[in-house]
Amino acid sequence: MLALLFILFAGMAVGCAISMVAQRNPLYSAISLIGVFLALACLYVTLGAPFIAAVQVIVYAGAIMVLVVFVIMLLNVEEEDRPMRLRSLTPIAVGLAAALFAETAFIIFFVHWSPATPTASVSDVGLTSSIGAGLFTTYLLPFEVTSILLLMAIVGAMTLASRAGLLPREAVVVPGYQVLAREVLDPRTTPDLTPIVARSTGEVEEALGVEEAPQITDES
Amino acid sequence: MIGILVAFTVVMTMVAYTVLAERRILGFIQGRLGPNRVGPGGFLQPIADLLKFIFKEDIVPDKSTRFVYFLAPTIATTAALMTIVVYPFGPDIHLPFTLPLVNTNTIPLVIAKFDVALLYVLGVTSVGVYGIALAGWSSNNKYSLMGGLRSSAQMISYELALGLGLIGVILQSGSLNLQSIVEQQSGHLGITGWNLFWVQPLGFFVYLTAAIAETNRVPFDLPEAETELVAGFHTEYSAMKFALFFLAEYVNMFTVSMLAATLFLGGWNGPFVHQLPWLGVFYFLGKVVLFLFFYIWLRGTLPRFRFDQLMSFGWKFLVPLAIINIVFTATLQWLGVFDYIGQVLKTSTGWGG
Repeated sequence: MLALLFILFAGMAVGCAISMVAQRNPLYSAISLIGVFLALACLYVTLGAPFIAAVQVIVYAGAIMVLVVFVIMLLNVEEEDRPMRLRSLTPIAVGLAAALFAETAFIIFFVHWSPATPTASVSDVGLTSSIGAGLFTTYLLPFEVTSILLLMAIVGAMTLASRAGLLPREAVVVPGYQVLAREVLDPRTTPDLTPIVARSTGEVEEALGVEEAPQITDES
Repeated sequence: MIGILVAFTVVMTMVAYTVLAERRILGFIQGRLGPNRVGPGGFLQPIADLLKFIFKEDIVPDKSTRFVYFLAPTIATTAALMTIVVYPFGPDIHLPFTLPLVNTNTIPLVIAKFDVALLYVLGVTSVGVYGIALAGWSSNNKYSLMGGLRSSAQMISYELALGLGLIGVILQSGSLNLQSIVEQQSGHLGITGWNLFWVQPLGFFVYLTAAIAETNRVPFDLPEAETELVAGFHTEYSAMKFALFFLAEYVNMFTVSMLAATLFLGGWNGPFVHQLPWLGVFYFLGKVVLFLFFYIWLRGTLPRFRFDQLMSFGWKFLVPLAIINIVFTATLQWLGVFDYIGQVLKTSTGWGG
């Protein structure tokens, strides 16, 4: 029964993985990747680690892939046509794949002929309490370091996103409009993105150094 | 297998009649009658609706992405229905006539006893968003796409608040197993031990609000705002495929209500459950119906949020509130308050794991 389930879910995982690489539409690739994650979660359950399985579904399938799908939908990415690039790397890829297969074969061979038997009972490893105990005692440092890394990523993203926040609150100058205004004044200059802090048209005129803002009319 | 069949039938029937109840109660709130022609008092309306859905013409948009278009309602419904299996509908019951059939006369009223049932529920719920997002994308319709995008953003935001709101309960009970969480809430007469009364009212509020947003109900129903988006993500869906989305929404309502009843209102606990275990089922379903009524009541009462209000409410109000609740609960746990309460209430398993 377990072997049958393993074949089913492993086949699903491999099939979805191949489909992910082979699809030309990014959204189909994303859906295939979700399939891979779900199949992996099922495999974890058959291995007696329901906690890992649940976390796999929540974090990867439920959070990260939703963001990926969200971005694909938002950007409305079309199907990619596939130019043959980096042909020179093909032999290296073949070599790496061969090395990977050799490693797998070695591990299977080694495990098969190893005289040692696993000591810890299987049902104990994947339990919530044992994972929690491990995370907060033996592996506390890696755990905390990882959380600091994630915190850094969040802070970095917020810093990048809030560049415009350096302006005072009452400033209502949009960068795109700023470039347009400067281009109208002098079309030959490269776009200057420095924002101008102003509350009225008069202040902008003063900052740009013009007596009178040029009027855009239909005749021009 | 029999358990799944029974639970499926019960839930489906209750969902069908929730739709009827919603229409009748909304009618009452708005000073009109609601559907009352099919059968006595409109009692057969769900069956009539189902027949209508089955016999309607199934229209597939010409430029839709076929595979994803068919996949989306399937995902939505499957994800909604999959969580039913872990909820404890009642305590173990004893039936004498089942002894020769299954070699025991103790029947647990839960389909799958699962160690990490709470995480399983959260995981399956989080997969459900794909149904809506993909439906919006594959329909090749700008309104559908807007609905799908709104729903993805909304569900990502509120999932966080939802999960954080539940952490208080997990800290307090020290378990992810729904059955042991329910058993810890027995207390006196099956009422005094409810998590709602013991330091979790804040968590309850956060969970309930986030759950309404997760199920895309009023006042958080922006993914299907009729006045702006025609019908949102399911604009291009018709006949049975639309019915599947409809079903998924109501089953989701039902399952989040079940989770709320299980975690905060003591599940099947109630007066005299230990003498008459069958009462537990009725207490549990009664609590669920209470939540469903609350949902319908809200729909009849509140206007819809604006999108920026929705986002700032989720991120700037609910999430900090949930974090305050976690810190508060953890402090109480550290001080040993829950152990003391557990001793006072003399519950079988004790609090604090």
